Amino acid sequence: MIQIKNLKKSFRTEEVETLALNNVNLTVEEGEFVAIMGPSGCGKSTLLNILGMLDNPTEGSYHFGGEEVGKLRENQRTRIRKGNLGFVFQSFNLIDELTVFENVELPLIYLNMKKSEREQKVNAVLERMKIAHREKHFPQQLSGGQQQRVAIARAVVTNAKLILADEPTGNLDSKNGIEVMNLLTELNQEGTTIIMVTHSDRDSHYAHRIINLFDGQIVTESQNKPFEVNA
Amino acid sequence: MFKNHLKIAWRNISKDRMFTTIKIGGFAIGIAACILIFLFIRDEVSYDTHNTKKDQAFRVIGEIMLNGEKRQHVFFPSPFAQALTNDYPEIIKSGRFLKHELLSPVGKELRTLNQTQSNFEEEFVFVDPSLLEILDIPLVLGSRENALSAPNSIVLSKEKADKYFPEGNALGKQIILDNDVENPYTIGGVMGIISSNTHFKYDFLITKAHHEFWEGESANWLSSNYANYVLVKPGTDIASLEEKLMQTFDKYAVPALQGNASEEEIREMRNSSRFILQPVTDIHLRSVDIQDNLSHSDIRFVWLFGGIAIFILLLACINFINLSTAKSANRAKEVGLRKTVGAFRQNLVTQFLIESVIFSFISFGSGVFLAWMLLPYFNEIASKEILIPWGALWFLPLIVLASIVVGIIAGLYPSFYLSSFKPVDVLKGSLSLGSKSGNLRSGLVIFQFSVSVILLIGTLVIYKQMDYILNKELGFNKDQVLVIKGTNTLGDKVNTFKEELISLSGVHQVSISDYLPITETKRNGNAFWKEGRVGENKGVAGQMWRVDEDYIKTMGMKLSSGRDFSKDRRDDAESGAIINEKMVEQLGLTDPVGKKITNSGQVFEVIGVVEDFHFASLKEAIQPLCMAIGNESSIVTARINGDSPKDLIKSIHAIWDDLSPNQSLRYTFLDQRFEVMHKDIQRLGIIFNSFALFALFVACLGLFALSAFMVEQRNKEISIRIVLGASHFTIYKLLSKDFLKLVVISIVIASPIAWFVMKRWLEDFEYKVTLNWQVFVWCAVLVTVIAILTVSYQSISATFIKPLKSLRTE
Repeated sequence: MIQIKNLKKSFRTEEVETLALNNVNLTVEEGEFVAIMGPSGCGKSTLLNILGMLDNPTEGSYHFGGEEVGKLRENQRTRIRKGNLGFVFQSFNLIDELTVFENVELPLIYLNMKKSEREQKVNAVLERMKIAHREKHFPQQLSGGQQQRVAIARAVVTNAKLILADEPTGNLDSKNGIEVMNLLTELNQEGTTIIMVTHSDRDSHYAHRIINLFDGQIVTESQNKPFEVNA
Repeated sequence: MFKNHLKIAWRNISKDRMFTTIKIGGFAIGIAACILIFLFIRDEVSYDTHNTKKDQAFRVIGEIMLNGEKRQHVFFPSPFAQALTNDYPEIIKSGRFLKHELLSPVGKELRTLNQTQSNFEEEFVFVDPSLLEILDIPLVLGSRENALSAPNSIVLSKEKADKYFPEGNALGKQIILDNDVENPYTIGGVMGIISSNTHFKYDFLITKAHHEFWEGESANWLSSNYANYVLVKPGTDIASLEEKLMQTFDKYAVPALQGNASEEEIREMRNSSRFILQPVTDIHLRSVDIQDNLSHSDIRFVWLFGGIAIFILLLACINFINLSTAKSANRAKEVGLRKTVGAFRQNLVTQFLIESVIFSFISFGSGVFLAWMLLPYFNEIASKEILIPWGALWFLPLIVLASIVVGIIAGLYPSFYLSSFKPVDVLKGSLSLGSKSGNLRSGLVIFQFSVSVILLIGTLVIYKQMDYILNKELGFNKDQVLVIKGTNTLGDKVNTFKEELISLSGVHQVSISDYLPITETKRNGNAFWKEGRVGENKGVAGQMWRVDEDYIKTMGMKLSSGRDFSKDRRDDAESGAIINEKMVEQLGLTDPVGKKITNSGQVFEVIGVVEDFHFASLKEAIQPLCMAIGNESSIVTARINGDSPKDLIKSIHAIWDDLSPNQSLRYTFLDQRFEVMHKDIQRLGIIFNSFALFALFVACLGLFALSAFMVEQRNKEISIRIVLGASHFTIYKLLSKDFLKLVVISIVIASPIAWFVMKRWLEDFEYKVTLNWQVFVWCAVLVTVIAILTVSYQSISATFIKPLKSLRTE
C-alpha cells in the first residue's frame, strides 16, 4: 500500500536548516498495524504528516497504492486523501462549532454524498463507536474519551483504507486509552491499515510491527505479536 | 454543504458576542451613513428630472471676462426672449422669468375679493406663459396655453389655491395683491404637484404677457433683469447655437450701447462675452458661480458627501477585515481540519465568503433600520424631506445586491487569508498567526485613522470658518436690529410709524429703506463714474442704495471721513452721497469728500465715506456701494435695546394695528436673517461634522476590538511579565504603545493631506480663517486622547489578568 524510498524532509529557517527525516525507507502492506516510536523531535509526526499527504517530502519517493504522491500539489493531495485516509490526533481536533453528528458528517460532505446516505453512514458509525446518544452535543460537552471516539468515527466514516493516528491516547486516561486502542485494533482486524505514532510501549504492543526512529532515521524495526482486543 | 456553511456561520456569529456586535455594529453604522448620503445625493441629482423635454430645455447664461475673471449671469433685457424665437429657428419657445425685489417684491399681501384682511405670501414671480411648457409645469386646473395669456393673470400652487379657495373652484377667481383693488389678478391655472424636485418652486406665477414695469421696457436693451429659458428643437447642436447667439448681441445690444459706452468698450465687451445654454437639470447643482439670485446646491457637495460615504464604508469594511483576520487563530484549527478531511481551498473560500455575506446581510438590515431611525434628524439638518423609498421596485433588490457585493468585497481578503493555512502547520501548531496579517492590520488601522484625522481636521476648520463668519466684524452692527417688513402698505403713514417708533423708550434709532446688508432685500446694480468721465472711462460697477438720513446710525456703520446725511441740509436729499471705501478705491478718488460722481446721468457730491461693510455672503468680496437719500418704504429697521424685547414688540404691535388694522405686523431680526444667509455653510458644517464623527466612531470601534484581540493574544506574555514583577503601569504602557504608534503615524500622514484639502475649501471664501498649526495640534491631541481611551479599557483590564489562570490554560 505504501512504499517510501530514500525519503528526506528538511525545514529551513532564515539561519538554520534542520533535517527532520533522513533517508527513510519504509513499506507498509494493506491490513498492517504499524507503530512508529521514538523520542520527541525524532521525526515521527513529520513522517506521519507525509504519509497522510498533509506535507510533501523534500527528497525521495512516496508511492501510495502504486501512485507517486510525493510531488503532488495541495489540491491533488486532497483529492487522493479524500475518502482514502482518516486521521486521529492526540488532541482530538474536532471542530468546536459543529455537533458530534456534524463533525463526523464533514468528510462525507466534501465527498458530495447525498444527505440521506450521509445520515445513514454517520448514524451507523456513531452506533458502532457507542456515541450515538451524544450526536447533538458539541465537542466541549464530551469527555476526552468520547471526543476521541468521535474523531475515530470521523476517520472511518468514509471507509478509509488507511488510518493515521498521532498519539491517539496521549490525552486520555488509561481506561479511555484502552478503549480507543481496542477500537483501532477492531478496525484493523476488519482490514483497515493503521499507522500510529506513539510514545506508549503499551499502545505499541497493539501493532504488528514497531518502527523506531531516532534523529530522522529508522534505527530498528521489529515484528510484534499484538494484544488481543479487550472486550 | 451550503447549509453546513450557514450553520457554522451562524454559530460563529452567536459565539463571540462582543466581536459580532462590533463587526456588525460598525458595519451597520457605516451602511446607515452611506444610505443617508445615498438618499441625499439621489435627492440632489433628481432636480428637474420630471421635465419630459429636459433634453431640450435650457437656461441662457451670459459669460463675460472682467479683468481676467470669468463672470456668469442669467440676466438679459426684456426683449431678449422674443428676439431668440424670432431669430433662431432652432429655438421653439423662449420665456422670461423675473424675481427681482427692486421691480416687484417677492412677498406680497394677498386677499380674495371676499376677504377684508390680507395675508402675507411669499414666492411671487413673473413669468412668460411659455415657461409653463418649457419647464413642464403641470396644471391641475386651466390649460398651459391660456393660463397666463391674459393680462393680470396668475397661476397658483395647489397648496395656495386650496388655502384661498377650499371649494376647489379657484379657476377664474380674482385676488387682490398689496391692496391694489384697481388691478385685481385673475387665476388662470392651478399648478399640480411636480413629481421631482425642481429649481423652479414658486407659489404664485404672475404673467409677464402684456406687462411692463415702465413704459418702453419691452423694447429696452439696456436694462437686464430677466432670466431666460428656451426650448430647442430635438437634435439641436447646442455648441453651434451658443456660438450663433452672439449675433443677438451684435444685432440688438451693440446699437443700444452706442452712445452709452465707447466703441472700444463695446468691442471689448463683445470679444469677452459668450452665451451658454445650461440644461435645466444642471441648474440646481451647477450654478454656484452663476449670478442668478437663486439659492442652489453645489455639485461639489455631492462629490464631497459621496466621497465621505465611500470612506465610511471603507472604514467599516476595514473593521470587518481586521477583525476577521485578527480572529484567524480561532479559525485556523477549523481550516486545518476541514482540509485534512477533504476540503479544497475553494470550498473554504466559498465558506468564508458566505459567512461574510451573512454578516453583510445582517449589517445591511441593521443599517437600513438605523438610517430609518436617523432620517428625521438628518432631514432636519440637511433641510430636506427625504423618505426611504420602501415602495420603489429597485430599493430592496438594490439593498440585497449591495449587501452581497459589499459582503464579498469585505470578505475577499479574510477568505483567501484564512483558507491559505496549511493543515500540517495548523496541526503542528507552527502556524505563525498574526505576523503576516498583523502588518496588514496595522496598515489598515493607519488608513482608518488617517481618514478620521482628515475628517476631524476638516470638521475643526469648517467650525472655525463658520464661527468666523457668524462673528466677523461686518462693518455694521447686526445685533438688536428689528426689521419690519411690508411697511410700504402704510403709504404716507410710514413716516408717522417711524416717529411713533422712535418715541418708544426701548428704540434708539429708526430708518426707512428697502436696502439692507442681508440677502433677499433690494439690490440695484449700477455704473459709476467720476464726474465728466462718462463715455471716456469704464464705469465702476457698484450698488446704488436709497436710504434715509438715519440709516447709517441705525445700522451702526462707521464713517471713515466726511459726515452723515442731515435732515437740515436740503442738498443732501437732492445730490448728497455717501460711498464706501471700495467705491473710493475703484473710482480712484483721493480726498473723496466733496468730489462729484455720476450715476445714471445724475451727479452726486460725496459728503462722506463709510467703512466697508459686508452686504452679501462672506463668500463674496465687498463691492463698491453708494448711498443716497430716497424713498424706499417697504422695510423699516429699528435699533432697540434688549432689555424687554417682548414688551417692546407688544408696543410696536399696538402702533402698527392702529395704523394698519387690516394687515398683520411682519418682523424679524437682522442677526437672524444674517444667519439664514449663511445657513448653507452651517448646514454643510453640521452634515460634514456628523459624518466625520460617524467615521471616527467606526474607526474607534475597530481599534477597540483589535486591542481586545491583541490583549487576548498576549495573555501568556502578560502573565509571565506579571510573574516576573511587571507593574500595572508597565503592562498598560506596553499594550497601549503599539496602538499609539499607529495613531501617530496616521496623524503624520493625514495632516498634510488635510491641510491641502482644507486650503482648497477655504479658497472659496473671500474672507476666511487662516489655517494655523494649532488646528492640527488640537486635532492630533484629540485623536490621541480618543485612541488612548479606546484602547485603555482593554489595556487596563489586561493589567489585572490572573497569571496563574492564564498560564495554566497555556
